[in-house]
Amino acid sequence: MRSLLSFAVLVLATVVSAISTTGDRLLVVLDDAAEQAGYSKFLGDLKSRGFKLSFETPKSESLSLFHLGERAYDHVILFPSKLKGLGPKLTGQLLLQFLNADGNILVALGSDTAASTALVSLLTELDIHLPAERTGLVVDHFNYDSVSAPDKHDVLLLPPPGSHRPGVKDIFSAGAPSDQVIAFARGVGATLGAGELLTPLLRAPSTAYSYDPSTQAETVDDPFAAGEQLSLISTFQSRTSARFTLVGSAELLADKWFDTEVQKPGAAKAVKTFNREFAKRVAGWTFQEIGVLRVNWIEHHLNEVGGSNETNPKIYRIKNEVTYAISVSEYAWDAWTAFSVPPNDVFQLEFSMLSPFHRLTLQPDAAHSTPDAAAFTASFKLPDQHGIFNFKINYKRPFFTNVEEKNTVSVRHMAHDEWPRSFVISGAWPWIAGIGATVAGWLGFCALWMYSAPVSGKKTQ
Amino acid sequence: MSADLLQAVADVGKGKGTRSLLRVVILCLIAGAAIASRLFSVIRFESIIHEFDPWFNFRATKYLVANGFYNFWDWFDDRTWHPLGRVTGGTLYPGLMVTSGVIYHALRALNIPVDIRNICVLLAPAFSGLTAFASYLLTNEMTTTPSAGLLAAIFMGIAPGYISRSVAGSYDNEAIAIFLLVFTFYLWIKALKQGSMLWGAMCALFYGYMVASWGGYAFITCLLPLHSFVLICMGRYSTRLYVAYTTWYALGTLASMQIPFVGFLPVKTSEHMPALGIFGFLQLLGFLDYVRSAIPGRQFQTFLWLFAGGIFGVGLGGLVLATSLGFIAPWSGRFYSLWDTGYAKIHIPIIASVSEHQPTAWPAFFFDLNMLIWLFPAGVYLCFQQLADEHVFIVVYALFGSYFAGVMVRLMLTLTPVVCVAAAMAMSSLFDTYLVAKAPKPEDHVADEASEGAAKKAAKTGLKSTSRPVVGVYSYFAKGTIVSGLTLYLLLFVLHCTWVTSNAYSSPSVVLASKMPDGSQHIIDDYREAYQWLRQNTADDAKIMSWWDYGYQIGGMADRPTLVDNNTWNNTHIATVGKAMSSREEVSYPIMRQHEVDYVLVVFGGLLGYSGDDINKFLWMVRIAEGIWPDEVKERDFFTPRGEYRVDGEASEAMKNSLMYKMSYYNYNMLFPPGQAQDRVRGVRLPEVGPTLSTLDEAFTSENWIIRIFKVKDLDRFGRDHGQAMAFERGIKKKAPRKKGPRTLRVD
Repeated sequence: MRSLLSFAVLVLATVVSAISTTGDRLLVVLDDAAEQAGYSKFLGDLKSRGFKLSFETPKSESLSLFHLGERAYDHVILFPSKLKGLGPKLTGQLLLQFLNADGNILVALGSDTAASTALVSLLTELDIHLPAERTGLVVDHFNYDSVSAPDKHDVLLLPPPGSHRPGVKDIFSAGAPSDQVIAFARGVGATLGAGELLTPLLRAPSTAYSYDPSTQAETVDDPFAAGEQLSLISTFQSRTSARFTLVGSAELLADKWFDTEVQKPGAAKAVKTFNREFAKRVAGWTFQEIGVLRVNWIEHHLNEVGGSNETNPKIYRIKNEVTYAISVSEYAWDAWTAFSVPPNDVFQLEFSMLSPFHRLTLQPDAAHSTPDAAAFTASFKLPDQHGIFNFKINYKRPFFTNVEEKNTVSVRHMAHDEWPRSFVISGAWPWIAGIGATVAGWLGFCALWMYSAPVSGKKTQ
Repeated sequence: MSADLLQAVADVGKGKGTRSLLRVVILCLIAGAAIASRLFSVIRFESIIHEFDPWFNFRATKYLVANGFYNFWDWFDDRTWHPLGRVTGGTLYPGLMVTSGVIYHALRALNIPVDIRNICVLLAPAFSGLTAFASYLLTNEMTTTPSAGLLAAIFMGIAPGYISRSVAGSYDNEAIAIFLLVFTFYLWIKALKQGSMLWGAMCALFYGYMVASWGGYAFITCLLPLHSFVLICMGRYSTRLYVAYTTWYALGTLASMQIPFVGFLPVKTSEHMPALGIFGFLQLLGFLDYVRSAIPGRQFQTFLWLFAGGIFGVGLGGLVLATSLGFIAPWSGRFYSLWDTGYAKIHIPIIASVSEHQPTAWPAFFFDLNMLIWLFPAGVYLCFQQLADEHVFIVVYALFGSYFAGVMVRLMLTLTPVVCVAAAMAMSSLFDTYLVAKAPKPEDHVADEASEGAAKKAAKTGLKSTSRPVVGVYSYFAKGTIVSGLTLYLLLFVLHCTWVTSNAYSSPSVVLASKMPDGSQHIIDDYREAYQWLRQNTADDAKIMSWWDYGYQIGGMADRPTLVDNNTWNNTHIATVGKAMSSREEVSYPIMRQHEVDYVLVVFGGLLGYSGDDINKFLWMVRIAEGIWPDEVKERDFFTPRGEYRVDGEASEAMKNSLMYKMSYYNYNMLFPPGQAQDRVRGVRLPEVGPTLSTLDEAFTSENWIIRIFKVKDLDRFGRDHGQAMAFERGIKKKAPRKKGPRTLRVD
C-alpha cells in the first residue's frame, strides 16, 4: 500500500516536472514589465509547457540569482536592455556563476540597443564576440523580406538551419516544411572562437554582413564579419552541460514575427514564418527540454563459460572476454525516449590506460532496450597488459548533453595456477620424459646397488 | 674455608656440563643484550614502523595475513604505480612477510593474539639474537678457543653496523637476511669441512630462504664459488669440496628459482654465472681426478693441459657468445656501479639519487665498527697463520666485504659479520695469551722444540714468526696491563655502540624529534598528520602524486594510490613525475590529467629548517626527467647563469616556474612581514611576491609546513585555461581580440 502510494507520488512528480530535466523556475528579465506583451506568445508557450515564470527588471531590489548559495532559478531569459550595465545583481561574474551552478541562460539582443557591459564580459569569457560598439546590424541584400524591409534589407529570411554537420541530429528544423523561412529582423551577429563548446545554431547566409549603422551609414569598408562566420544564434554548452544561447534578434521571439507572412525578393508568394516553432525549439533546447541524454545504467561482466557471473567486478584478468553494456535515454519535451544514434554517427567505447587500447563501436542491444531506454553493448577480449584501465564513454556532440562515463577496473596478471599444466603442453613432453627417465634410472641404479651383493675378494682370487 | 670455597667455585667452571650451561646462559644474555639495545626507538618514540621500505613490507605483511598465502603470491597491487599497477606478488622477496605471517599464525595457534604491527616492529631485534648465535657457531668453526665464539656473538649483537638496519621498527629485508647470511656461511663451512651432503643440503635450504628474503643473496652466490675457486687454485681440491659445492649449487639453485622474482635469473644473468662456472669446473676436476687414477702420470700431464685448455676455451667462448646473442643478460647497471663509483651518476641517476648507494666516507667505518675495525686485520692475519679451508673463506670474505663496503654505504652491512668474526678471533687470541694465571715453564717448550725441530726444518714455509714456538708471558704486570687495557676497550666499545644506537640509528624518520629550549623532547609529527589528513579527507581512490621517496609511506599510512614509489621498477614513470614537478604548470597539468592525479604532495622544510625536503632533492627529479626528455627538461636551466642553485629572487626562470618551486613556496610569504620571508634550509630571503598557482588548489599544509598537499583542479567548465578563469574571478576582464591583423576563422 505504502509502496503504491509512493509510486503514485512519484508518477505525479514526474508529470508535474515533465517540463525540463533540470527544473521549471524561469526568470524573465525585462527593462519594463510592459514589454512582455510583445513576447506574449513566446512566453505563453513556455508557460503552457509548465515553466513557472517570474518577471523582474534589472534594477529590482528583489532580483537575486542565488538564494543562500543555491540557485534561486533554474533558467534565465535576458531580453534586450537599454541599461549600460545590468546593475549589481546581474554582473558578468554572477551570470557565469549561475552557469557554473548548472543554470541555463537565454539572451536575446537587438540592433537598436547596445548589449550591456555585463553581458559583453560574460560573452567574452565564453569566447563569443560582439562588435566593438556592442551592437551592429546584420543585413543581406539577397535574402531579405521584401514586405517589411524593402529598403533597409535588415530583415533576413533564412531557411531552417538543418543538420549542423553530417552525423549531428537535426533537432531545430526537423519536420519543418522546406519552403518555410525564419525571419531574423534587425539582429546582431556574433563571431565565435574556436572552442569546441561553442556551436553556431543559426549562421548567416554567405551574402550577409554586419556593420554599425551609426558610424558606417555611408560606406562599409570594414565590416565586423561576413558570411558564415557571422553567427546569428550561438549556443554554448559547458562541460557539465549547462546551456547558454545568444539570440541575435529579440524580434525573432516576438509576437510580431510569429504569424506574419514574408516574401523573399523575386519569390512568387508570401509565406508564413517558421519563427514560433523555431523559437519554441531554441528555448526548449536552452532549458534542457530536448537534446538531453541520460545514462541509465552501465554494466560490464565476464563473458566466459564457467567464469564468474558477477556484475561490474572490480578486477579482471588479462585476455578475459568481457561484455560492456550501457543504457541511454533521450528527453523529448516531456518524456524520456530511447536514444538512437543519429545516422552517420557512431557511439563508441574506449578501453584505456593512459591511451586507448580498444576503441569499439557499441551496437544496439535490443534485448535490454525498453521504449524509454536504448541499450548498447560491445564484447571484446581484454588486452595482454595488466594495469588499471577505464571503460570510457566520451560522447560529445553538438546540441546533445555531454556523455562522459568512466568505469575503472583493474586488469591483473595471470595467477600462478592459471597457466596450462606442463603435461598439456606438447612441447614439454620431451622434458617430462627426461625427468621420468632420470628418476627411473636412479631407482634402477639404487636397486642394482642394494641387491647385488659384493663379490668377496677371496673368491675372485 | 674461603680457599675451599674458591676452589669449589673454580671447579664448577671446569666440569664440561657446567661449561655448556654457562655458555648457554651467556649466549642467552648476549641475545638479550642484542634485543635490548635495539629497543631505543620503541622507548623513545613508540612501536612504529620506520622509514620508507619497511612501510611497504608492513603493508604487504598485512595483506598476507588478511588474504592468505596464495592471494599474496598472486597479488596484483592496483594502488601503486597508477595506472600501471604492480605485480607485487611476483616482484618482491617474500621471505620477510612470510616469516612474520608464520610467527603471527603460530602465536595465534598458541592463543597469544599479538597485533601484526608489533610482530613486524620486533622482528628485527628478535632475529638479531639469532644472528649473534649464528656468528657464535661460525666463529667456533674457525678456532678451537671457546671464547672467540662468545666474543663474536656479542660483537655481532651490538655492532652499530648491523644495528643500523635492525632496530625495532626497521622492518626491512635485512632484518632477517643477515641472520640467514651468517647461518648459510656457517652451514657452508660445516659442509665443506665434513664433505657432508646433509650439511650441503642444509646450506642450500638456508640459501633458498636467503634468496626468498633479500636481493643481497647474490653476495653468497658469488662468494661461495669464489671461495671454492681460491681453494682449487691453492691445490686444495678435494671430494669434500666437490660434495659440498655440488650439493649446495644444485639444490640451492633449484630453491632460488622457486621465487617468482628470481625465476630464471640464476641461469640467465651474468651475476650468477660464476656459480655455474665453478659447478662445471668441479665436475671437470672430479673427472680428471678419476682419469689420473686410471692412466700413467706422463700421459696424464699432456691430457690435462689439452683437456683443461680446450674446455676453458669452449666455456669462455660459449659464455661470450651466449651473452652477445642475448641468452645471458649482461651485468646490470647496479653491478657496474660496484666497480666504478661514478658510473651510476652518469648513467643511472635513479640509483645515484639514493643516499645509501653513495660511496662510504672513511669515518663511517669507525663509527659503525669502532675498535673492531682495527682488530679485523689482526684476525685476518691469524687466519693466515692456520689457513685451513675455512680460514681461506674468512680471508676471501674479508677482502670482498671490505671492497664492497668501501664502494656503497649500505654494504657495510655485509662486512660487519666477517669483521665481528675476525675481531673476535684476534681478541680471544689476546685473551688466551694474557689471561692465563700460571706462568709458562720454559722447559716444556724446549722439549717441544726438540721434538718438532726436525719437522720444522723440512717445512720452511710460512712466515718466520709463525715457525717460532709461542712461549708465553711471565710478568703478572704485563698480563694485568694488557688485560685491563683490553677490558677497557671492550667497555668503551659497549659505550660507543650504545651511544651510536641511541643517537644515530633509533630515529623512525617518520616522526622527528627536536629539543625544546628547556631540554625537553618535542615531537614533530607532520608526516603522520598529513597522511592522516589524506586518509580522512580524500576519496578512497584519490591518486596522490609525490616524489617516489614518499610512495611507500603514502601507501602504508594514508592508504591511497600513488603514481610512483620506492620500488623504482619503472624509470620512465618516475621520470614522468619528475617532468611534471620540474615543468611549467601548462606542461604539468596535462600530464597530471592523463595520469588521473587528484592530489600532489610535496615536502617542504623551509620553515623548520628540515633539510631532507623536495627542493633539495629537486635536481634529481630534473636529472631523471632529463634522462627521458632531454629536449624538454634541462638541468642547466635550473641554475643561475653563474652556475648557482638558488631559490631566492635570483633563481632562474625555469626554477621559478617549475611546479615544485611554486608548490613549495606558495603562500609562504604570508607567514612573514612583507619582504621578510626566509627559507631556513637554504638560508636565503625569498622575493616579496610569492608564486601563484592556477591549476592547483592548496588543500592542506601541516603544522610545521613540512608536508603540503595540493588538489588538482578539474578542467574549466567553460573551456578557458585556469589562469584566465582566475583572472575573471578577480574581476580582470579578458581583452577582446585585436581588431587589426589576420582574423582567426572558425571552421566547423
